[in-house]
Amino acid sequence: MKTAAKMAVLAAAALVALILGVGVGSVFIPPDEVCAILVHFLFGMPLPEGIDPVYPSLVFNMRLPRVLMAFLTGAGLAVSGTVMQSVLRNPLASPFGLGVSAGAGLGAALVIVAGVSSGLLGAFLLPAVSLCFALATVVVVVGFATRLDRSLSNTTIVLTGMVASLFLNAIMSLLSTLSPLYAQQISLWTLGSFSSKEWSQVAVLAPVTLLCTLFFLRFSREMDVMTFGEEQAQAMGVALRRMKWVLIVAIAVLTGTATAFVGIIGFVDLIAPHVVRRFFGAAHRRVIPAAALFGGAFMVLCDLAARTLVPPREIPIGSITALIGAPFFIYIYFAGRRRR
Amino acid sequence: MLKAEHLTCGYGGEPVVKDLSFEVPSGGRLCILGPNGCGKTTLLRALAGLLPHEGSVSVAGRDLASMSRRQAAQSVALLSQISSVYFSYSVYETVLMGRYAHQAGGAFSGPGPEDKRIALECMERTGVAHLRHKLVTELSGGQLQRVFLARTFAQCPQVILLDEPTNHLDLKYQVELVQELKDWAAGEGRCVVGVLHDVNLALDLADLFLFMEDGQAQYFGPAAEFDPAALNRVYQMDVGGYMRRSLTRWEELK
Repeated sequence: MKTAAKMAVLAAAALVALILGVGVGSVFIPPDEVCAILVHFLFGMPLPEGIDPVYPSLVFNMRLPRVLMAFLTGAGLAVSGTVMQSVLRNPLASPFGLGVSAGAGLGAALVIVAGVSSGLLGAFLLPAVSLCFALATVVVVVGFATRLDRSLSNTTIVLTGMVASLFLNAIMSLLSTLSPLYAQQISLWTLGSFSSKEWSQVAVLAPVTLLCTLFFLRFSREMDVMTFGEEQAQAMGVALRRMKWVLIVAIAVLTGTATAFVGIIGFVDLIAPHVVRRFFGAAHRRVIPAAALFGGAFMVLCDLAARTLVPPREIPIGSITALIGAPFFIYIYFAGRRRR
Repeated sequence: MLKAEHLTCGYGGEPVVKDLSFEVPSGGRLCILGPNGCGKTTLLRALAGLLPHEGSVSVAGRDLASMSRRQAAQSVALLSQISSVYFSYSVYETVLMGRYAHQAGGAFSGPGPEDKRIALECMERTGVAHLRHKLVTELSGGQLQRVFLARTFAQCPQVILLDEPTNHLDLKYQVELVQELKDWAAGEGRCVVGVLHDVNLALDLADLFLFMEDGQAQYFGPAAEFDPAALNRVYQMDVGGYMRRSLTRWEELK
């Protein structure tokens, strides 16, 4: 199949996932009515007769922001994972390995334990602090790695990232232990959730995700070259050190923002790039948009499972992504191996 | 063509290459020989402009240090030994990447028709055109190195540096690779500088030799009239005697 056709199929699948995500829940809204309501909001077309008057506000105020947050988070994590694997030239690399999640987690835990509230920032206080911690962690990690090793080699980045993550995680555990009142709240945050998401959060995450993805697309040729090794990439004309810094900071902004809003959700960043490369090859100009669509759709479906499998309770989204993701990944990986 | 003047470089303040000066003319093929750890690879990295150095390296009169990375890559390319490839690009995509340094740096600009023409030509030249839709992860070592050679040619450099490119290759591929490099270097305004471990292969490729010991030149001059004693000195063994012994074995086979 041609790349354009494959991309169209993937986009259609993502749209179906979005409609399903909006329609399925404690109250089931049929897909055609979901579409009618969405068209009504987007283009101001009148609603057809016979739609329950509660549905539009249910869709607009509850379901849609949640589903969009899930989609954006999934897309952002998948794209960051793709870029991270290419920058470090390691198929097991993850943006969380830079200390993004550990930093974000510590920031969130501090806000939870301190119990501070700010009139100015309101509901954005926790995500804002969390994002600052995530960014600071990555800057410290990469800065320290540069100090240790002028050429900023991949091994140094991975090692410093791992040490920083373990260190910050230890501080977070210490915080939880010392303030048992908040321990459950902290651990729930770290497991990730899309419940009670609002349009204001979508308004922040959507532009960040879109801009970062376009930014990565702009450097897709550089990343292609970088996958062939550090020395080769330089000899072929890529200013490697600067490129690594720029891409890593963008990864930190993208994953940091998503994590700050929804908590730590693993696995998507790792599997999405592999699944997508199976079907689209390795070239970044194809893999990045495909990873965004796949990651987004996957996260919407995982969130759908998280809130509908054992109602009225919600399963932490992080365990769903791993539960579905691990076998799916093994299947894709080995199915591909056998074909060769 | 390629000129190194009082070149000193190393890692962390410790010089590995010490005050080396030499010049390779257009059409020249220089092979660097010396024991492990004598600074051959460090010298190559400096010649590629990948290592900060004292002294100067210039290509066709232009100092490498004054160029951007992209400009430097238009002058000097590097062919290394095959390393593992983790990402499944097609052969064509891989060779096309050699054009990176020549493409406009603007947002979303891709390879143009000229880039594609050159990439195809280079694939023909190294005999991998029929593999163009194959993935690089599916190739044998010999095929992969030919793809990388095509990519190096596609970079259209004036100088090709070789860092043991024949490692892990079958004898046939080694000989063919050397022949292709000789043919390439015969073109106008080009030269090849390489590190090869196989002395026989180096004899085949080179018209100039640089023998290195402890970061310094022990011999620099025409390959046809090098002093075997100098070679024995840098390797600390009787290289000629070893070669003759192995030749005797071939003679006996007849």
